[in-house]
Amino acid sequence: MMRALAIGGFLVGLALFGLVEWLARREGSKIPTLGELCGYVMRYEVGPVPVGRIGLFGFWWWIGWHFLAR
Amino acid sequence: MMEQPHDLTVDAPRTWERPVVCVPVLVALSLVGGRFPSFSTEANVYVFGAGGMLIWLGLTKRVQARPAPERLRPGAVWWALPVVVFGIFEGATFFAAAGDDFPTFSRLADPLLEDRLVRSAAWLVWLSAFWGLVRR
Repeated sequence: MMRALAIGGFLVGLALFGLVEWLARREGSKIPTLGELCGYVMRYEVGPVPVGRIGLFGFWWWIGWHFLAR
Repeated sequence: MMEQPHDLTVDAPRTWERPVVCVPVLVALSLVGGRFPSFSTEANVYVFGAGGMLIWLGLTKRVQARPAPERLRPGAVWWALPVVVFGIFEGATFFAAAGDDFPTFSRLADPLLEDRLVRSAAWLVWLSAFWGLVRR
């Protein structure tokens, strides 16, 4: 029962990612696409340090290591 | 000859940035990555090598980047919905530490990723998204 709840919850979460991206790609949408959101976050800098780029690159690198290497 | 104004000129993407080149390269890298099982030295070296190369490309801005928005549209808050739903289930399963009875996302993914084809597909998703980030 709890296993089915976890699987269902993760599937709903993934489906919501797809749904919001689909809504964002409609003509005249007020929702930015995930790519635009990432691009905006990656603009963030503290002085000369591109904190946003480093943060997103580091997060995605860790995701790859977590699922594909460890 | 008339000189072109700067704001009307667009840099053409380099040969290796074009889809006809980078897509087959990403597929080839993914097929190689899919051969390495979890916890192997090869998998760790490959992830750190591929990721390190992409981070280097992204931080040195050697790849032509797409323009980033100056401001976000107000609907950006909708992205919180999938993040919160996913985060609640990941947090609950992680802290419950109930193993297969209430598994985390990675515990559910591990058996699927043992298949070489699925593993290569996961590599392709990871590398493609990484390439997309580098181009932002």
